[in-house]
Amino acid sequence: MNPADTLTIILAGGQGERLAPLTKERSKPAVPFGGIYRIIDFTLSNCLNSGLRRILVLTQYKSHSLDRHLRHAWHIFNPDLGEFLDTLPPQQRMGDRWYQGTADAIYQNLFFLEDERPSRVVILSGDHIYKMDYSEMLEAHLARKADLTVAVVEMEVEKAAGQFGVLQVDREERICGFQEKPESPQPDPERADICLVNMGVYIFETEALVRNVVEDARRPTQHDFGRNIIPAMVNNFRVCAFRFADLNKKEQKYWRDIGTLDSYYEASMDLVQVEPLFNLYDKRWPIRTYPAFEPPAKMVFAGDGEIGSGESAQRIGVALDSLVSNGVIVSGGRVERSILSPGVRVNSYAHIEDSILFDGVDVGRHCRIRRAIIDKGVRIPPNTTIGFDPKADSRRFTVSPGGIVAIPKGENLSEA
Amino acid sequence: MKTILVVDDERNLRLFYEKELKEEGYDVVLAGDAKEAMDRLNQARPDLILLDIKMPGMDGLEALGRILSKDNSIPVILNSAYSSYRDSFMSWSADAYLTKSSDTTELKAKIRELLGMA
Repeated sequence: MNPADTLTIILAGGQGERLAPLTKERSKPAVPFGGIYRIIDFTLSNCLNSGLRRILVLTQYKSHSLDRHLRHAWHIFNPDLGEFLDTLPPQQRMGDRWYQGTADAIYQNLFFLEDERPSRVVILSGDHIYKMDYSEMLEAHLARKADLTVAVVEMEVEKAAGQFGVLQVDREERICGFQEKPESPQPDPERADICLVNMGVYIFETEALVRNVVEDARRPTQHDFGRNIIPAMVNNFRVCAFRFADLNKKEQKYWRDIGTLDSYYEASMDLVQVEPLFNLYDKRWPIRTYPAFEPPAKMVFAGDGEIGSGESAQRIGVALDSLVSNGVIVSGGRVERSILSPGVRVNSYAHIEDSILFDGVDVGRHCRIRRAIIDKGVRIPPNTTIGFDPKADSRRFTVSPGGIVAIPKGENLSEA
Repeated sequence: MKTILVVDDERNLRLFYEKELKEEGYDVVLAGDAKEAMDRLNQARPDLILLDIKMPGMDGLEALGRILSKDNSIPVILNSAYSSYRDSFMSWSADAYLTKSSDTTELKAKIRELLGMA
Protein backbone atom coordinates (compact mmCIF):
# COMPACT_ATOMS: atom_id res chain seq x y z
CA MET A 1 0.00 0.00 0.00
CA ASN A 2 1.32 3.37 -0.96
CA PRO A 3 -0.61 6.14 0.75
CA ALA A 4 0.83 8.70 -1.68
CA ASP A 5 -1.32 7.40 -4.51
CA THR A 6 -4.48 7.20 -2.40
CA LEU A 7 -6.72 10.23 -2.08
CA THR A 8 -9.40 10.42 0.60
CA ILE A 9 -12.56 12.39 -0.03
CA ILE A 10 -14.87 13.08 2.89
CA LEU A 11 -18.42 14.03 2.00
CA ALA A 12 -19.30 16.68 4.56
CA GLY A 13 -22.01 18.60 2.78
CA GLY A 14 -25.01 16.96 4.39
CA GLN A 15 -27.73 19.35 5.44
CA GLY A 16 -28.78 17.13 8.32
CA GLU A 17 -32.38 18.31 8.27
CA ARG A 18 -33.50 15.46 10.53
CA LEU A 19 -31.02 16.68 13.16
CA ALA A 20 -32.67 20.09 13.31
CA PRO A 21 -32.44 22.30 15.32
CA LEU A 22 -28.83 21.23 16.01
CA THR A 23 -28.13 21.88 12.33
CA LYS A 24 -29.80 25.28 12.36
CA GLU A 25 -26.45 27.06 12.16
CA ARG A 26 -24.03 24.31 11.19
CA SER A 27 -23.71 21.33 8.90
CA LYS A 28 -24.17 17.86 10.31
CA PRO A 29 -20.44 16.94 10.50
CA ALA A 30 -19.89 20.04 12.66
CA VAL A 31 -22.49 19.09 15.29
CA PRO A 32 -20.82 18.72 18.71
CA PHE A 33 -20.67 15.19 20.10
CA GLY A 34 -19.36 13.65 23.30
CA GLY A 35 -18.70 16.95 25.05
CA ILE A 36 -15.57 18.09 23.24
CA TYR A 37 -15.76 16.57 19.76
CA ARG A 38 -17.50 17.35 16.48
CA ILE A 39 -19.02 14.45 14.56
CA ILE A 40 -16.41 14.71 11.78
CA ASP A 41 -13.57 14.22 14.28
CA PHE A 42 -14.26 10.48 14.37
CA THR A 43 -13.86 9.98 10.63
CA LEU A 44 -10.82 12.26 10.53
CA SER A 45 -9.21 10.46 13.48
CA ASN A 46 -9.76 7.19 11.62
CA CYS A 47 -7.97 8.68 8.61
CA LEU A 48 -5.09 9.93 10.68
CA ASN A 49 -4.72 6.66 12.57
CA SER A 50 -4.98 4.65 9.33
CA GLY A 51 -2.25 6.63 7.58
CA LEU A 52 -4.61 8.38 5.15
CA ARG A 53 -3.25 11.90 5.12
CA ARG A 54 -4.19 13.25 1.73
CA ILE A 55 -7.69 14.42 2.45
CA LEU A 56 -10.24 16.51 0.64
CA VAL A 57 -13.31 17.56 2.63
CA LEU A 58 -16.23 18.53 0.41
CA THR A 59 -18.38 21.05 2.23
CA GLN A 60 -21.59 22.71 1.20
CA TYR A 61 -24.38 24.01 3.43
CA LYS A 62 -23.61 26.26 6.39
CA SER A 63 -19.96 25.34 6.22
CA HIS A 64 -18.48 28.13 8.32
CA SER A 65 -18.58 26.29 11.64
CA LEU A 66 -17.10 23.15 10.07
CA ASP A 67 -14.49 25.10 8.17
CA ARG A 68 -13.35 26.89 11.29
CA HIS A 69 -13.20 23.67 13.28
CA LEU A 70 -11.10 22.00 10.58
CA ARG A 71 -8.70 24.94 10.49
CA HIS A 72 -8.33 25.06 14.26
CA ALA A 73 -8.31 21.37 15.13
CA TRP A 74 -6.93 19.67 12.04
CA HIS A 75 -4.25 22.01 10.83
CA ILE A 76 -1.65 19.32 11.46
CA PHE A 77 -0.92 17.80 8.07
CA ASN A 78 2.50 18.42 6.65
CA PRO A 79 2.67 19.51 3.01
CA ASP A 80 6.42 18.73 3.01
CA LEU A 81 5.48 15.09 3.44
CA GLY A 82 2.79 15.22 0.79
CA GLU A 83 0.04 15.44 3.39
CA PHE A 84 -2.89 17.81 3.18
CA LEU A 85 -6.38 18.45 4.38
CA ASP A 86 -8.18 20.79 2.00
CA THR A 87 -11.76 21.90 2.30
CA LEU A 88 -13.57 22.51 -0.92
CA PRO A 89 -17.00 24.10 -1.29
CA PRO A 90 -18.79 23.60 -4.65
CA GLN A 91 -16.73 25.29 -7.37
CA GLN A 92 -19.64 25.50 -9.82
CA ARG A 93 -17.31 24.66 -12.70
CA MET A 94 -20.00 22.43 -14.16
CA GLY A 95 -22.73 25.04 -13.95
CA ASP A 96 -24.59 27.00 -11.34
CA ARG A 97 -25.68 24.21 -9.06
CA TRP A 98 -24.84 22.72 -5.70
CA TYR A 99 -24.14 19.04 -5.23
CA GLN A 100 -27.19 17.07 -6.33
CA GLY A 101 -26.09 13.86 -4.61
CA THR A 102 -23.01 12.06 -3.34
CA ALA A 103 -21.94 10.95 -6.81
CA ASP A 104 -22.51 14.43 -8.21
CA ALA A 105 -20.17 15.78 -5.51
CA ILE A 106 -17.41 13.61 -6.98
CA TYR A 107 -18.41 14.41 -10.57
CA GLN A 108 -18.25 18.13 -9.91
CA ASN A 109 -14.70 17.69 -8.63
CA LEU A 110 -13.35 15.76 -11.61
CA PHE A 111 -10.92 18.55 -12.30
CA PHE A 112 -9.42 18.11 -8.85
CA LEU A 113 -9.09 14.36 -9.41
CA GLU A 114 -7.52 15.14 -12.76
CA ASP A 115 -4.82 17.20 -11.07
CA GLU A 116 -4.17 14.65 -8.33
CA ARG A 117 -4.44 11.52 -10.47
CA PRO A 118 -4.48 9.14 -7.49
CA SER A 119 -4.56 5.40 -8.24
CA ARG A 120 -7.50 5.00 -5.95
CA VAL A 121 -9.95 7.06 -3.97
CA VAL A 122 -11.30 6.41 -0.50
CA ILE A 123 -14.74 7.98 -0.09
CA LEU A 124 -16.04 8.53 3.43
CA SER A 125 -18.96 10.19 5.07
CA GLY A 126 -18.35 12.97 7.56
CA ASP A 127 -21.27 12.11 9.81
CA HIS A 128 -20.72 8.64 11.21
CA ILE A 129 -19.38 7.57 14.60
CA TYR A 130 -17.09 4.52 14.53
CA LYS A 131 -13.48 3.45 14.67
CA MET A 132 -12.07 1.73 11.66
CA ASP A 133 -8.63 1.03 10.27
CA TYR A 134 -9.05 1.88 6.60
CA SER A 135 -5.59 0.48 5.79
CA GLU A 136 -6.91 -3.05 6.39
CA MET A 137 -9.73 -2.40 3.97
CA LEU A 138 -7.27 -0.95 1.48
CA GLU A 139 -5.13 -4.09 1.70
CA ALA A 140 -8.17 -6.28 1.10
CA HIS A 141 -9.19 -4.07 -1.83
CA LEU A 142 -5.75 -4.46 -3.42
CA ALA A 143 -5.43 -8.18 -2.70
CA ARG A 144 -8.75 -8.86 -4.40
CA LYS A 145 -8.07 -6.50 -7.29
CA ALA A 146 -11.44 -4.92 -6.77
CA ASP A 147 -12.74 -1.96 -8.75
CA LEU A 148 -14.83 -1.00 -5.75
CA THR A 149 -14.81 -2.23 -2.17
CA VAL A 150 -17.77 -1.37 0.05
CA ALA A 151 -17.45 -1.62 3.83
CA VAL A 152 -20.39 -3.42 5.39
CA VAL A 153 -21.57 -3.88 8.94
CA GLU A 154 -23.83 -6.64 10.18
CA MET A 155 -27.11 -5.34 11.54
CA GLU A 156 -30.37 -6.79 12.84
CA VAL A 157 -32.86 -7.01 9.97
CA GLU A 158 -35.58 -5.03 11.75
CA LYS A 159 -33.13 -2.26 12.64
CA ALA A 160 -31.98 -1.90 9.05
CA ALA A 161 -35.46 -1.99 7.51
CA GLY A 162 -36.22 1.24 5.66
CA GLN A 163 -33.13 2.92 7.11
CA PHE A 164 -30.02 1.68 5.33
CA GLY A 165 -28.64 0.29 2.10
CA VAL A 166 -28.63 -3.50 2.30
CA LEU A 167 -26.48 -5.79 0.18
CA GLN A 168 -25.88 -9.44 -0.58
CA VAL A 169 -22.57 -11.16 -1.20
CA ASP A 170 -21.55 -14.43 -2.85
CA ARG A 171 -19.11 -16.90 -1.36
CA GLU A 172 -16.12 -14.83 -2.46
CA GLU A 173 -17.62 -11.76 -0.78
CA ARG A 174 -18.41 -10.21 -4.13
CA ILE A 175 -21.48 -8.05 -3.94
CA CYS A 176 -24.30 -9.57 -6.00
CA GLY A 177 -27.30 -7.56 -4.85
CA PHE A 178 -27.97 -4.11 -3.48
CA GLN A 179 -31.13 -2.36 -2.30
CA GLU A 180 -31.36 1.14 -0.89
CA LYS A 181 -33.49 1.32 2.27
CA PRO A 182 -35.60 -1.80 1.58
CA GLU A 183 -38.69 -2.29 3.75
CA SER A 184 -37.87 -5.96 4.28
CA PRO A 185 -34.11 -6.48 3.97
CA GLN A 186 -32.82 -9.78 2.63
CA PRO A 187 -31.08 -11.55 5.51
CA ASP A 188 -27.64 -13.15 5.45
CA PRO A 189 -28.03 -16.76 4.18
CA GLU A 190 -26.38 -18.08 7.31
CA ARG A 191 -28.15 -15.95 9.89
CA ALA A 192 -31.79 -15.13 9.36
CA ASP A 193 -31.88 -12.18 11.77
CA ILE A 194 -28.85 -10.37 10.34
CA CYS A 195 -28.30 -8.42 7.13
CA LEU A 196 -25.33 -6.57 5.67
CA VAL A 197 -25.57 -2.79 5.71
CA ASN A 198 -23.65 -0.31 3.56
CA MET A 199 -21.55 1.93 5.83
CA GLY A 200 -20.89 4.58 3.20
CA VAL A 201 -17.19 3.73 3.22
CA TYR A 202 -15.92 3.08 -0.30
CA ILE A 203 -12.59 2.42 -1.97
CA PHE A 204 -12.63 2.92 -5.72
CA GLU A 205 -10.01 2.42 -8.36
CA THR A 206 -9.94 5.94 -9.76
CA GLU A 207 -10.73 4.93 -13.32
CA ALA A 208 -13.76 2.89 -12.26
CA LEU A 209 -14.94 5.77 -10.09
CA VAL A 210 -14.65 8.33 -12.85
CA ARG A 211 -16.23 6.12 -15.53
CA ASN A 212 -19.21 5.48 -13.32
CA VAL A 213 -19.87 8.97 -11.99
CA VAL A 214 -19.46 10.34 -15.50
CA GLU A 215 -21.96 7.84 -16.91
CA ASP A 216 -24.30 8.48 -14.02
CA ALA A 217 -24.14 12.21 -14.70
CA ARG A 218 -25.68 11.52 -18.10
CA ARG A 219 -28.60 9.61 -16.63
CA PRO A 220 -31.72 10.97 -14.93
CA THR A 221 -30.82 9.50 -11.53
CA GLN A 222 -30.46 10.86 -8.01
CA HIS A 223 -26.68 10.78 -8.50
CA ASP A 224 -26.20 8.83 -5.30
CA PHE A 225 -23.60 6.15 -4.57
CA GLY A 226 -26.00 3.89 -2.72
CA ARG A 227 -29.01 4.27 -4.97
CA ASN A 228 -27.35 4.52 -8.36
CA ILE A 229 -23.61 3.92 -8.63
CA ILE A 230 -23.24 0.64 -6.73
CA PRO A 231 -26.30 -1.07 -8.26
CA ALA A 232 -25.07 -0.01 -11.71
CA MET A 233 -21.57 -1.40 -11.04
CA VAL A 234 -22.47 -4.73 -9.50
CA ASN A 235 -22.83 -6.55 -12.83
CA ASN A 236 -20.01 -5.01 -14.84
CA PHE A 237 -17.27 -4.34 -12.31
CA ARG A 238 -15.50 -6.20 -9.56
CA VAL A 239 -17.38 -4.98 -6.50
CA CYS A 240 -16.39 -6.56 -3.19
CA ALA A 241 -17.62 -6.27 0.36
CA PHE A 242 -15.33 -5.69 3.31
CA ARG A 243 -16.71 -6.72 6.66
CA PHE A 244 -16.15 -4.04 9.23
CA ALA A 245 -13.55 -5.10 11.77
CA ASP A 246 -14.09 -2.98 14.81
CA LEU A 247 -11.16 -1.43 16.62
CA ASN A 248 -13.35 -0.60 19.50
CA LYS A 249 -12.23 -3.68 21.44
CA LYS A 250 -15.83 -4.51 22.18
CA GLU A 251 -17.72 -7.52 20.98
CA GLN A 252 -20.40 -5.50 19.32
CA LYS A 253 -19.27 -3.76 16.15
CA TYR A 254 -19.91 -0.11 16.71
CA TRP A 255 -21.04 2.04 13.81
CA ARG A 256 -23.62 4.75 14.10
CA ASP A 257 -25.15 6.93 11.44
CA ILE A 258 -26.22 9.96 13.44
CA GLY A 259 -29.32 10.64 11.39
CA THR A 260 -31.96 11.89 13.79
CA LEU A 261 -32.21 13.67 17.12
CA ASP A 262 -33.13 10.38 18.76
CA SER A 263 -30.18 8.46 17.28
CA TYR A 264 -27.92 11.36 18.21
CA TYR A 265 -29.23 11.25 21.75
CA GLU A 266 -28.87 7.48 22.06
CA ALA A 267 -25.31 7.46 20.72
CA SER A 268 -24.40 10.27 23.10
CA MET A 269 -25.98 8.67 26.13
CA ASP A 270 -24.08 5.45 25.47
CA LEU A 271 -20.92 7.37 26.41
CA VAL A 272 -22.00 7.94 30.01
CA GLN A 273 -22.56 4.24 30.68
CA VAL A 274 -20.13 2.55 33.05
CA GLU A 275 -18.90 0.49 30.11
CA PRO A 276 -19.80 2.37 26.95
CA LEU A 277 -20.05 0.53 23.64
CA PHE A 278 -17.88 3.24 22.16
CA ASN A 279 -14.47 3.49 23.77
CA LEU A 280 -12.91 6.95 23.88
CA TYR A 281 -10.01 5.77 26.00
CA ASP A 282 -8.06 3.60 23.58
CA LYS A 283 -4.56 5.10 23.46
CA ARG A 284 -3.81 3.22 20.27
CA TRP A 285 -6.71 4.85 18.50
CA PRO A 286 -6.90 8.41 19.83
CA ILE A 287 -9.79 10.63 18.81
CA ARG A 288 -8.47 14.06 18.06
CA THR A 289 -10.30 17.34 18.33
CA TYR A 290 -9.71 21.00 19.05
CA PRO A 291 -8.42 21.30 22.59
CA ALA A 292 -10.37 24.15 24.15
CA PHE A 293 -8.08 26.10 26.42
CA GLU A 294 -10.27 26.11 29.45
CA PRO A 295 -9.45 25.63 33.13
CA PRO A 296 -10.17 22.25 34.72
CA ALA A 297 -13.75 21.33 35.50
CA LYS A 298 -14.81 22.44 38.94
CA MET A 299 -17.54 21.39 41.35
CA VAL A 300 -18.20 23.63 44.31
CA PHE A 301 -20.32 23.62 47.46
CA ALA A 302 -20.25 20.45 49.49
CA GLY A 303 -23.38 21.35 51.49
CA ASP A 304 -23.11 24.50 53.58
CA GLY A 305 -25.04 23.51 56.62
CA GLU A 306 -25.69 20.43 58.62
CA ILE A 307 -27.67 17.62 57.10
CA GLY A 308 -31.39 18.30 57.27
CA SER A 309 -31.03 21.96 58.14
CA GLY A 310 -32.90 23.54 55.24
CA GLU A 311 -32.05 24.62 51.73
CA SER A 312 -28.38 25.35 52.19
CA ALA A 313 -27.77 21.81 53.35
CA GLN A 314 -28.69 20.58 49.86
CA ARG A 315 -26.40 23.02 48.13
CA ILE A 316 -24.07 20.40 46.74
CA GLY A 317 -22.29 20.72 43.41
CA VAL A 318 -22.04 17.25 41.95
CA ALA A 319 -21.95 15.42 38.59
CA LEU A 320 -22.61 11.67 38.54
CA ASP A 321 -22.45 9.19 35.63
CA SER A 322 -21.56 12.13 33.41
CA LEU A 323 -18.95 13.47 31.03
CA VAL A 324 -17.70 16.80 32.30
CA SER A 325 -15.47 18.87 30.01
CA ASN A 326 -12.91 21.50 30.89
CA GLY A 327 -14.18 24.89 31.91
CA VAL A 328 -17.37 23.50 33.41
CA ILE A 329 -18.46 24.79 36.81
CA VAL A 330 -21.10 22.82 38.65
CA SER A 331 -21.82 25.39 41.30
CA GLY A 332 -24.18 23.88 43.83
CA GLY A 333 -26.28 22.04 41.24
CA ARG A 334 -26.81 18.33 40.64
CA VAL A 335 -26.00 16.65 37.32
CA GLU A 336 -26.81 13.02 36.52
CA ARG A 337 -26.25 10.93 33.38
CA SER A 338 -25.42 13.98 31.27
CA ILE A 339 -22.78 15.37 28.94
CA LEU A 340 -21.44 18.83 29.66
CA SER A 341 -19.37 20.60 26.98
CA PRO A 342 -16.65 23.13 27.83
CA GLY A 343 -17.73 26.21 29.76
CA VAL A 344 -21.11 24.95 30.94
CA ARG A 345 -22.28 26.40 34.24
CA VAL A 346 -24.87 24.77 36.47
CA ASN A 347 -26.03 26.98 39.30
CA SER A 348 -27.27 26.14 42.78
CA TYR A 349 -30.20 23.77 43.34
CA ALA A 350 -30.54 23.13 39.62
CA HIS A 351 -31.09 19.47 38.76
CA ILE A 352 -30.06 18.14 35.35
CA GLU A 353 -30.74 14.55 34.30
CA ASP A 354 -30.13 12.61 31.07
CA SER A 355 -29.25 15.74 29.12
CA ILE A 356 -26.64 17.07 26.73
CA LEU A 357 -25.47 20.65 27.25
CA PHE A 358 -23.30 22.25 24.55
CA ASP A 359 -20.55 24.83 25.10
CA GLY A 360 -21.27 27.70 27.42
CA VAL A 361 -24.83 26.76 28.42
CA ASP A 362 -25.77 28.45 31.67
CA VAL A 363 -28.44 26.85 33.85
CA GLY A 364 -30.02 29.13 36.43
CA ARG A 365 -30.87 28.29 40.04
CA HIS A 366 -33.64 25.82 40.79
CA CYS A 367 -34.01 24.71 37.16
CA ARG A 368 -35.19 21.16 36.54
CA ILE A 369 -34.05 19.74 33.21
CA ARG A 370 -34.54 16.22 31.94
CA ARG A 371 -33.94 14.52 28.56
CA ALA A 372 -32.93 17.70 26.77
CA ILE A 373 -30.28 18.78 24.28
CA ILE A 374 -29.38 22.41 24.77
CA ASP A 375 -27.29 24.10 22.09
CA LYS A 376 -24.36 26.47 22.51
CA GLY A 377 -24.57 29.47 24.76
CA VAL A 378 -28.26 29.18 25.71
CA ARG A 379 -29.03 30.74 29.11
CA ILE A 380 -31.73 28.95 31.04
CA PRO A 381 -33.36 31.43 33.45
CA PRO A 382 -33.80 30.39 37.10
CA ASN A 383 -36.75 28.13 37.98
CA THR A 384 -37.20 26.87 34.41
CA THR A 385 -38.60 23.36 33.95
CA ILE A 386 -37.81 21.41 30.79
CA GLY A 387 -38.60 17.78 30.00
CA PHE A 388 -41.45 17.23 32.47
CA ASP A 389 -44.45 18.44 30.51
CA PRO A 390 -44.37 17.27 26.87
CA LYS A 391 -47.26 19.55 25.86
CA ALA A 392 -45.70 22.67 27.30
CA ASP A 393 -42.29 21.72 25.86
CA SER A 394 -43.61 21.16 22.36
CA ARG A 395 -45.23 24.60 22.35
CA ARG A 396 -41.82 26.21 22.89
CA PHE A 397 -39.25 23.77 21.52
CA THR A 398 -38.56 20.95 19.10
CA VAL A 399 -39.52 17.62 20.70
CA SER A 400 -38.29 14.47 18.95
CA PRO A 401 -40.51 11.39 18.43
CA GLY A 402 -38.54 9.82 21.26
CA GLY A 403 -39.46 12.72 23.55
CA ILE A 404 -36.12 14.54 23.58
CA VAL A 405 -36.42 18.31 23.90
CA ALA A 406 -33.98 20.27 21.72
CA ILE A 407 -33.26 23.95 22.32
CA PRO A 408 -31.42 25.69 19.49
CA LYS A 409 -28.48 28.05 19.59
CA GLY A 410 -29.50 31.64 20.10
CA GLU A 411 -32.79 30.74 21.81
CA ASN A 412 -33.82 33.45 24.22
CA LEU A 413 -35.70 31.98 27.16
CA SER A 414 -35.98 35.12 29.24
CA GLU A 415 -39.63 35.61 28.28
CA ALA A 416 -40.58 32.03 29.00
CA MET B 1 -34.94 18.25 -39.49
CA LYS B 2 -32.22 17.63 -36.91
CA THR B 3 -30.11 20.55 -35.75
CA ILE B 4 -26.40 20.34 -35.01
CA LEU B 5 -24.52 22.99 -33.05
CA VAL B 6 -20.91 23.26 -34.23
CA VAL B 7 -18.54 24.93 -31.74
CA ASP B 8 -15.08 25.75 -33.07
CA ASP B 9 -12.87 28.81 -32.78
CA GLU B 10 -11.53 28.43 -36.34
CA ARG B 11 -13.85 30.09 -38.80
CA ASN B 12 -12.74 28.01 -41.79
CA LEU B 13 -13.42 24.80 -39.91
CA ARG B 14 -16.86 26.03 -38.86
CA LEU B 15 -17.70 26.73 -42.48
CA PHE B 16 -16.26 23.38 -43.55
CA TYR B 17 -18.42 21.46 -41.04
CA GLU B 18 -21.44 23.59 -41.91
CA LYS B 19 -21.13 22.66 -45.59
CA GLU B 20 -20.46 18.98 -44.92
CA LEU B 21 -23.32 18.57 -42.46
CA LYS B 22 -25.82 20.59 -44.51
CA GLU B 23 -25.12 18.22 -47.38
CA GLU B 24 -26.14 15.42 -45.05
CA GLY B 25 -29.46 17.13 -44.51
CA TYR B 26 -28.93 18.72 -41.09
CA ASP B 27 -29.66 22.21 -39.91
CA VAL B 28 -26.39 23.70 -38.67
CA VAL B 29 -25.91 26.39 -36.04
CA LEU B 30 -22.42 27.84 -35.47
CA ALA B 31 -20.63 29.16 -32.39
CA GLY B 32 -17.08 30.57 -32.30
CA ASP B 33 -16.39 29.95 -28.61
CA ALA B 34 -17.87 28.29 -25.53
CA LYS B 35 -19.69 31.39 -24.40
CA GLU B 36 -21.43 31.78 -27.73
CA ALA B 37 -22.26 28.08 -27.61
CA MET B 38 -23.99 28.56 -24.26
CA ASP B 39 -25.95 31.48 -25.70
CA ARG B 40 -27.07 29.32 -28.66
CA LEU B 41 -28.02 26.58 -26.24
CA ASN B 42 -30.18 29.00 -24.28
CA GLN B 43 -32.00 30.00 -27.46
CA ALA B 44 -32.86 26.53 -28.75
CA ARG B 45 -31.96 22.96 -27.94
CA PRO B 46 -29.90 21.38 -30.73
CA ASP B 47 -30.15 17.64 -31.34
CA LEU B 48 -26.39 17.19 -31.15
CA ILE B 49 -23.30 19.25 -30.40
CA LEU B 50 -19.94 19.01 -32.14
CA LEU B 51 -17.50 20.55 -29.70
CA ASP B 52 -13.89 21.62 -30.22
CA ILE B 53 -11.67 21.42 -27.12
CA LYS B 54 -8.81 23.88 -27.50
CA MET B 55 -10.46 27.28 -27.70
CA PRO B 56 -9.62 30.70 -26.28
CA GLY B 57 -11.50 31.49 -23.07
CA MET B 58 -13.44 28.56 -21.73
CA ASP B 59 -12.18 25.33 -23.29
CA GLY B 60 -14.36 22.57 -24.64
CA LEU B 61 -14.01 20.33 -21.57
CA GLU B 62 -15.21 23.01 -19.21
CA ALA B 63 -17.97 23.90 -21.69
CA LEU B 64 -18.97 20.24 -21.77
CA GLY B 65 -19.59 20.27 -18.02
CA ARG B 66 -21.76 23.34 -18.36
CA ILE B 67 -23.65 22.00 -21.35
CA LEU B 68 -24.44 18.74 -19.56
CA SER B 69 -25.49 20.50 -16.40
CA LYS B 70 -27.97 22.41 -18.54
CA ASP B 71 -29.19 19.32 -20.40
CA ASN B 72 -27.48 15.99 -19.87
CA SER B 73 -29.44 14.29 -22.64
CA ILE B 74 -27.94 16.17 -25.61
CA PRO B 75 -25.38 13.98 -27.42
CA VAL B 76 -21.98 15.66 -27.54
CA ILE B 77 -19.06 14.73 -29.79
CA LEU B 78 -15.71 16.12 -28.74
CA ASN B 79 -13.84 16.98 -31.89
CA SER B 80 -10.20 17.90 -31.38
CA ALA B 81 -7.04 18.11 -33.43
CA TYR B 82 -5.33 16.44 -30.49
CA SER B 83 -5.85 12.93 -29.20
CA SER B 84 -4.20 13.69 -25.84
CA TYR B 85 -7.44 14.94 -24.28
CA ARG B 86 -8.76 11.39 -24.44
CA ASP B 87 -7.07 10.85 -21.07
CA SER B 88 -8.86 13.77 -19.51
CA PHE B 89 -11.52 12.59 -17.06
CA MET B 90 -13.95 15.21 -18.25
CA SER B 91 -13.74 14.01 -21.85
CA TRP B 92 -15.15 10.67 -20.67
CA SER B 93 -18.52 12.26 -20.19
CA ALA B 94 -18.84 13.02 -23.93
CA ASP B 95 -20.68 10.54 -26.13
CA ALA B 96 -17.74 10.31 -28.52
CA TYR B 97 -14.25 11.65 -29.02
CA LEU B 98 -12.99 12.13 -32.57
CA THR B 99 -9.73 13.60 -33.83
CA LYS B 100 -10.23 16.17 -36.54
CA SER B 101 -9.81 14.94 -40.08
CA SER B 102 -10.60 16.22 -43.56
CA ASP B 103 -12.30 12.88 -44.11
CA THR B 104 -15.66 13.26 -42.39
CA THR B 105 -16.91 9.70 -42.97
CA GLU B 106 -16.37 8.65 -39.37
CA LEU B 107 -17.85 11.86 -38.04
CA LYS B 108 -20.97 11.51 -40.16
CA ALA B 109 -21.41 7.88 -39.16
CA LYS B 110 -21.05 8.77 -35.49
CA ILE B 111 -23.60 11.56 -35.80
CA ARG B 112 -26.10 9.21 -37.45
CA GLU B 113 -25.48 6.66 -34.71
CA LEU B 114 -25.99 9.16 -31.89
CA LEU B 115 -29.12 10.55 -33.49
CA GLY B 116 -30.48 7.04 -33.79
CA MET B 117 -30.44 7.16 -37.57
CA ALA B 118 -27.80 4.48 -38.16
